[in-house]
Amino acid sequence: MTYSLTPDTNSARPQRVRFLRSLRRHPLGALALGLLLLLAAGAILADLLAPYDPTATDLGNSLSGPTGSHLLGTDALGRDLLSRLLFGARVSLTGTAQAVATVIAVGVPIGLLAGYLGGWVDRVAGGIIDVLLAVPGIVMLLVIVAIFGNNESVAMIALGVLGAPGMARVVRGSTIAVRNELYIKAARVSGLTTRHVLVNHVLPRVSGPIVVRASLFAGVALLVETGLGFLGFGAQPPDPSWGNMVADASQFVAIAPWMLVPSGATIALSILSFGLLGDAIRDSTAGRARGADRVRRKVAGDAKEPAATPAQPATETPDDSDALLRVRGLTVSVPAATGQADIISDVTLEIRAGETVGLVGESGCGKSMTGRAILGLLPQPVAVTGGRILFDGQDITKLGPRQLQRLRGAQIALISQEPVASLDPVFTVGHQLKEVLLRHQPGSRREIARAAVALLRDVNLREPERVMRSYPHQLSGGMAQRVAIAMALAGRPRLLVADEPTTALDVTVQAEILGLLRRLQRQTGMAVLIISHDWGVIADVCERAYVMYAGQVVEQAPVLDLFDGPRHPYSAGLLGCMPGRAARGDLLPAIGGRVPQPGSWPTGCHFSPRCPIARDDCTRDPVALNETAAGHASRCLYPLLVDEKVFSHDAR
Amino acid sequence: MPAEPLLTVTDLTVEFDSTDRRRRGQRFRAVDGVSLSLAPGETLGLVGESGSGKSTIGNAVLGLVATGPGSRIVFDGEDITQAPPKRRRALGSRIQVVFQDPYSSLNPSRTIGQTLGEPLRATGVDRRETRSRVADVLSKVDMSPDVAARYPAQFSGGQRQRIAIARALIRDPQLVILDEPTSALDLSVQAQILNLLIALRRDAHLSYLFISHDIDVVRFFSHRMAVLQHGRIVEEGDVDAVIERPREPYTRELLAAVPVADPREQRRRRESRSSVVTGSR
Ligand SMILES: Nc1ncnc2c1ncn2[C@@H]1O[C@H](COP(=O)(O)OP(=O)(O)OP(=O)(O)O)[C@@H](O)[C@H]1O
Ligand code: SF4
Ligand SMILES: [Mg+2]
Repeated sequence: MTYSLTPDTNSARPQRVRFLRSLRRHPLGALALGLLLLLAAGAILADLLAPYDPTATDLGNSLSGPTGSHLLGTDALGRDLLSRLLFGARVSLTGTAQAVATVIAVGVPIGLLAGYLGGWVDRVAGGIIDVLLAVPGIVMLLVIVAIFGNNESVAMIALGVLGAPGMARVVRGSTIAVRNELYIKAARVSGLTTRHVLVNHVLPRVSGPIVVRASLFAGVALLVETGLGFLGFGAQPPDPSWGNMVADASQFVAIAPWMLVPSGATIALSILSFGLLGDAIRDSTAGRARGADRVRRKVAGDAKEPAATPAQPATETPDDSDALLRVRGLTVSVPAATGQADIISDVTLEIRAGETVGLVGESGCGKSMTGRAILGLLPQPVAVTGGRILFDGQDITKLGPRQLQRLRGAQIALISQEPVASLDPVFTVGHQLKEVLLRHQPGSRREIARAAVALLRDVNLREPERVMRSYPHQLSGGMAQRVAIAMALAGRPRLLVADEPTTALDVTVQAEILGLLRRLQRQTGMAVLIISHDWGVIADVCERAYVMYAGQVVEQAPVLDLFDGPRHPYSAGLLGCMPGRAARGDLLPAIGGRVPQPGSWPTGCHFSPRCPIARDDCTRDPVALNETAAGHASRCLYPLLVDEKVFSHDAR
Repeated sequence: MPAEPLLTVTDLTVEFDSTDRRRRGQRFRAVDGVSLSLAPGETLGLVGESGSGKSTIGNAVLGLVATGPGSRIVFDGEDITQAPPKRRRALGSRIQVVFQDPYSSLNPSRTIGQTLGEPLRATGVDRRETRSRVADVLSKVDMSPDVAARYPAQFSGGQRQRIAIARALIRDPQLVILDEPTSALDLSVQAQILNLLIALRRDAHLSYLFISHDIDVVRFFSHRMAVLQHGRIVEEGDVDAVIERPREPYTRELLAAVPVADPREQRRRRESRSSVVTGSR
C-alpha cells in the first residue's frame, strides 16, 4: 500500500515565506522595516532624488523652515536639508553596514565553529571572546579614531570587531542546541563534510538569532556613527553626514530650532526601527521554534460540522446509581474555522467505588482529554459541548472554578506521565507535600511533618527524610512518580485518574509503581482510572477497560473478556499487532492506514476506512455502542466472533 | 550463522564527563568492555533500561563518540575504530542509522527530496540520477514519489520514520543501526514499520543492530540479543534461549517486569512476584 499525502498541518512553506507572513502580525516591525528600506533607497538614489546639490549654498534662504522649494528647510549657509539628509544617509548607513558586516563576518564563524566542534576549538574561541569583552569599547574606539583620523571605515570595522563576541555567544548557544538535533547526526553519518553540514543544516537554523542580533547591533552602530560625526570625525564639511548635520544644527538651536528636527528625528527613528525590527523577528522566530515543527497533535484546520449525534442514544448500561463516576454522552470540542471540531464524541463510561478501570487506545484518540474533562481541567479553548459528568451525583460540567478546585485533590486526584514536571522545581519535596497536606487537614507543624513522612513511606520510598529535603530534579523518574502519587493521595481522594503513569519509566520501575498503585487502591478503597496505550499495563491492573478510537469508546468489557474475545475490529487489531503475541519470522497482522485527526473523522463508523470487514452501511450513519453480552459492548455493526481473524499480515 | 562476521566489536569502552554536579571533573563509563559481533543478514537486539549504554554502543559504531583505549571496531574486515574523517565519510554509504525521534530526525527547513538526495549530490551524482534514486527509495518504503517535494511538517510520526528509513537506505548500506526506531510510535504504526523493516532486511540482506528497551519487540524482531546493564553485557545469545532460559538474575528480573497482555498470566506472575519485589529504586 502506498501512502497518499494527507497533510497534517499547513505550515509547509519554506521559512522565508513564513517569516514575511509573520511580519504581518507585527505591524510595528513591518513599519520599521519599511522605513529602513525607504532610507536605504533614498541614500542609493540620492543623485536622482535630491532636489539640490547638498553642498550648494543659498545664502538668501538660510535658516529657513520648511518651504515649497526647501521641503525640510535649510541650514545656516542656505543648504537644502532634504538633500543633505539624503546624501548624509550614504555616509551614516554605509558606516552602519560596515560595522554590521564585520560583526557577522567575525562573530558568526567563531560562534558556529565553537558551538559545533566544541572541545579545544570552543575553549580557544571562549578565550578570544573573553579578551575582546574585557576591552573598554569606547576608549578603544576613540584611540582608533585618533590614530586613523578621518577614516571612518576603520572605526566602524573596529566597532564591529568589538561587537563580535556578543554575536559569537548568541550563535554558539543556538548552534549547540541545533547540533544535538538528530538530523545533524544523520547528516554526519551520511558522510557529509563538516562545512556542508554547517552551511546547509546549521546556519539556516540559527539564522533567526543572527538576524535579531545584527538588527539590534545596527541600532548601536548607527548611534556610534552619528556620535562620531557629531564630534567631527568622519565626513568633513562641507560634505554632509547625519552626525555633522546635528552638530551644525546644535550651533543654531536657539535661533533656528527646526534645523535640528530633520536629522535628529531621522536618527532617532532609524535607531528605533532597528530595535523594533529585531524584536519583531525575535518574536516570530521564537514562535516558529515552539510551533509548527514540534507539535505532533493538531486539529486539522478544515473541521467539518460535528457529526450529528446518533439517532438512538448510545446504549447506557442501565443507569447504575451506585457508580461513583458516571460520564454520559460526553462531547468535547474546540472552535474551528467552520463551527467546532469534536475531540471526543459521545463518551459514556462509569467507575464504581474501589474499581480499577482502564482507558486504552492510540495517541490522539482522546484518552487524556477524557481524563482532563473528568478533572475539570480542559485546556483553553477546549470545552465540554455535550453530555454530563456525574461524580457522586454532582455534575462536574456545571461547577465553577472554585468548586472544581475543592473537588480536585480532595475527591478526585491526578497523576500524570511526567512526574517531575508536575512538581515545582524551586521547592523541596517536603515543602510541597506539607503544603498539600495543610490544605486538606489542619494540624500542628509537627503533625503535618509526621504525616508527610508517613505518606512517603506509604509509597515505598526508603529514606523519606532524605527525600523530604530533596529538590525534584534530584529524584529519579521512579522516585518522582512515587512522590507525585504521595501528593495525589494527600487529600484521600475517592477517584484517582492516572494518565500514563508509567510510560516514561523503565519496566522494572513500572512493575513496582503498578504494584504500589494496586496496594494503595486496596488499602484506601479508592477508584482508579488508568489511561494507557499499553495492553500489558491494562492486563496487569484493571478489572474493566474501555477502548477508545478517534474520540469514541468503541468497546467496553471486563478485561478477561476483552483479551479473550474482542468484539470490535479495532480492539482486535490493536491486540493482534502486539509483537509480544506474534510468532517470530512472521510479519505482524497490522492495521493499515492511520488514526484520523479530529475534524476529519469519517461519517458513520470512525474505523471504517481501516476496517477489513467494512460494508456499505458502515459509512452511512453513526454507529451506536451495542451490548453484545452482559457488561460487554461494541460500537460495531458486525461485531467479531470469538477467534475471528480479520487482519492480514502484509500491511506495512 | 555464516562464518565471516560483518561487524565485530571488541572491548569497547566509552567514557563521558560526569554530568552530576557533585562529581564534576570525574569520568563515567557509559560502555564498559562490550564485545559483540554481527553476521551479514543478521539482526542483533540490544536491550537494557534507560542509561544502560545501548545508544552509546550504536554511536560508537557510527563514529559519533570517541572510544576508549583498547576498544576495537572491525567492519567487514577493516579496523574502523580510529578511522580518519575522510574514511568515516566514505563509510556513510555502508553503515547507516535510524533514530528514535521522528520529529527531530528530519531538518524541518528542507524538503524530503533535498534531505534524501543530499548524500548523493555531495558525492557527485547528477541531478537526474539523484531524482530517480530518491523516487526509487521512496517506493521501497511505500511512499509515493511526490513526497519528495514536501516538507517534514506535513508528515505524521510513522510517515517520518519511513522517510528516515529511506534516508538510511538510499546508498544501499550493509549495516543499519536502528536506535529505538519504533519507540515513539503507536502500536498499529509500530507494526507497520516493523513489517517494513523485516521485508527490507529480507530483500537486501541487511544486518541490523537493533537497539530497544522493549523486550517483546526485540524477541519478535531479532535473531540474537544482548542484555545490557550499567554499560556491560550481562547475557547474550539466541533470542529464544535468552528469553526462555535466562541464566542471569538481572535478565530474569527484567523479563519478569515486562507486563504481558494476558490478564490471567499477569495475575499468576504478580502472585509469584509479590514475595520478591518491594522497596524503592
Ligand atoms: N490543547 C489542545 N487544543 C486543541 N486540541 C487538542 C489539544 N490537545 C489535544 N488536542 C486534540 O485532542 C485529541 C485527543 O488528545 P489526547 O491528548 O486526549 O489523546 P491521547 O489519547 O491521550 O493520546 P496519547 O496517547 O498520545 O497521550 C488529539 O488528537 C488532539 O488533536
Ligand atoms: S461498523 Fe463496520 S466498519 Fe466499523 S468496525 Fe464494524 S464492521 Fe468495521
Ligand atoms: Mg495522553
